[in-house]
Amino acid sequence: MKLVSFSAEVNEDKCTGCGICARVCPTLSIRVESGLARVDTNTCAGCGACVERCPLDAVKLVSLEIPRMLGIDPVSVDRQKLVEICRKAKIHPEQIVCFCTSTRAEEVVAAILTGAKSPEEISRVTGVRTGCKTECIQPVLRLLYAAGIEPKPVEGGWQWYGKTVTIWEISDELKQKYSTKGFYFVEDENLFKKVMEKIQNR
Amino acid sequence: MSVKFAELVKPLPPIQSRYGPPPESIRKRAYELPDIVSVKVRDLFPSIPQPVYPSEKGVNAVREATEKALEKVDMSIIKPGDTVNVLGSHHGFTILGGYPYAEMLRTIKDVMHEKTGTDQIRLRVGVGLRFKEADEHIKRHKLDEYYDGKARGIAPIDEGIPVETEIGTLYGIKAAYDAKWIVHAHNSDVREIHFHRHVDRAVKPFGMSYARIETRSTYHHNLGPRGANFVARAIFSSKFVQDKWTFACFLKPSPAGILGVDADNDLFALDKRLTIDNFRYYGRILTLLSSIDECIAVLDFSCPIPYVFVAGMIFANFSAASVDIFDLDNPLPGYTWYTEALYDRNDKPLIPEIPPINPAIKALVINYSWGGYPSVFWAKHIPTIVVGEKQAEVFSSDPQNIEFMKYSVKADDLETAIRFAQKIAGTDKILIFDGAPEALNVSKSLAEYLIKKAPEIEEKMDKELIPKWCRQRGIA
Repeated sequence: MKLVSFSAEVNEDKCTGCGICARVCPTLSIRVESGLARVDTNTCAGCGACVERCPLDAVKLVSLEIPRMLGIDPVSVDRQKLVEICRKAKIHPEQIVCFCTSTRAEEVVAAILTGAKSPEEISRVTGVRTGCKTECIQPVLRLLYAAGIEPKPVEGGWQWYGKTVTIWEISDELKQKYSTKGFYFVEDENLFKKVMEKIQNR
Repeated sequence: MSVKFAELVKPLPPIQSRYGPPPESIRKRAYELPDIVSVKVRDLFPSIPQPVYPSEKGVNAVREATEKALEKVDMSIIKPGDTVNVLGSHHGFTILGGYPYAEMLRTIKDVMHEKTGTDQIRLRVGVGLRFKEADEHIKRHKLDEYYDGKARGIAPIDEGIPVETEIGTLYGIKAAYDAKWIVHAHNSDVREIHFHRHVDRAVKPFGMSYARIETRSTYHHNLGPRGANFVARAIFSSKFVQDKWTFACFLKPSPAGILGVDADNDLFALDKRLTIDNFRYYGRILTLLSSIDECIAVLDFSCPIPYVFVAGMIFANFSAASVDIFDLDNPLPGYTWYTEALYDRNDKPLIPEIPPINPAIKALVINYSWGGYPSVFWAKHIPTIVVGEKQAEVFSSDPQNIEFMKYSVKADDLETAIRFAQKIAGTDKILIFDGAPEALNVSKSLAEYLIKKAPEIEEKMDKELIPKWCRQRGIA
């Protein structure tokens, strides 16, 4: 769940339409039209990525008169399907995937099961990826892939480029090779297995 | 051991930043509270060497140390006219006001120009989760002028570049690698032990400060609490990075101040040296602080909550210290994102292996800190008092901490906050994270505890703890 209290606002006197704000927006709420950045305040989640990367300080966050809540109740979708996707992604449904918004895997999957097909659509529904914008793309991609969806990065955008490796996919040979250097891959994998085993019991 | 309370050591003043409250709104610093005393780090642990900075030489001592360290570095691969990116990080600027780190960065440019003849030397400074922070540091220390207009901050959401590695494709920040050569200019203090577990500490920025969000997310979600830093090794060891690699130059802080500068063409050799030194020096102070049975933690420094310092240790490490976080037999510290992720929706651990946040922290008083890091976890698990309206606004206006004040209370002034914290905590022991150089600012009761306990820790270090920590990392 995320309370959206702010929205981006562009200073048209400063904006040159360079488009960096649009390239970094996790909810695709900015377009460049007629040489100026335009914000869709209905979908902007107030994350400030545009504010922080505008080279001319032409964007700021302004308080919304009426804040709105992003989020989806995981109870609203088929629990069995939800758990199946989480198991496939090897993420516990209650595991937090976004530390800034405290979004859990089950909320991301609920968004997928109600029609979201990309990280951007999931962010618009749940608020995930709209805090620090930095740490939570991989679990979102893992859950999409586990649901059978292979999203494509936004053309020309810098929102995200691709899914990466997980501990479950690292070869035994590599795990062995680095086991004496302080990388406890096997032990960590066993730790995650214990977490996954808890799904049945909760 | 002769130990006395030192003259009160003043922390550095608050600084102007878009991430913190206005400096003028900080009406009182925690060290000014009654009953606070300073304990010098070297009075607790005389085996920690005398620092070169702070000293009467000022930052010139850092310049001399950098020049000396770079004497042994082979830069012959760099030719006149070659482009070189000196890769730095925001972290270095948080140490002692950033003055020693900035001087090291200036000296690297000067020495490299002198030894290679190139004048195409650029500074690229990576960040954490505050994307304009590096630019603020560059401006504050006038590094853009020093680097002839070629200094800039880089952020993990900037344009990326794929890097093929031993574990598949990962992603770096394109601007970090847009030169023929790179220099890795960092700081060696332990800092985020809860994340890297001091495995390949020196390599970490390749998986963080110079990396895109995909890589950072791999680190924090995909590989596990003791394997996470492998993403850094994978990127550093890639052909893409090795084709650009020249040398590393590291500022060497200790809990008592800056010990010097180390540099090497071989990053793993440098890493081994700094690992042993960090176990010796930071290991002592962290083990001592971990032994505290109860305290009120007061944050009073120009950094987000996890990064505020006492004696070179960051608050995140103290939060994590319900277990020995250097000991790799402990799968999870009391605080790390893998730990935070594994609390259920009732804020209870999903598995019994999750240790609690350091139970010695009975209350948390935030007199001065920045936003720009997801910190609600602390407010949820520790009774938290925020001092002043402006400090509260830092959190409530921060997209990473929208709910922070929902779990905290606000006091009008520091004295009121402390009185309330003492009632909640039932202790008069106060530990102040204010980054005071060379010393810990603490209540008299805590000072007496630390002084009494330090010899016992000293005894354990060389015989028991350091050999175990080294063994776990394959260091003979």
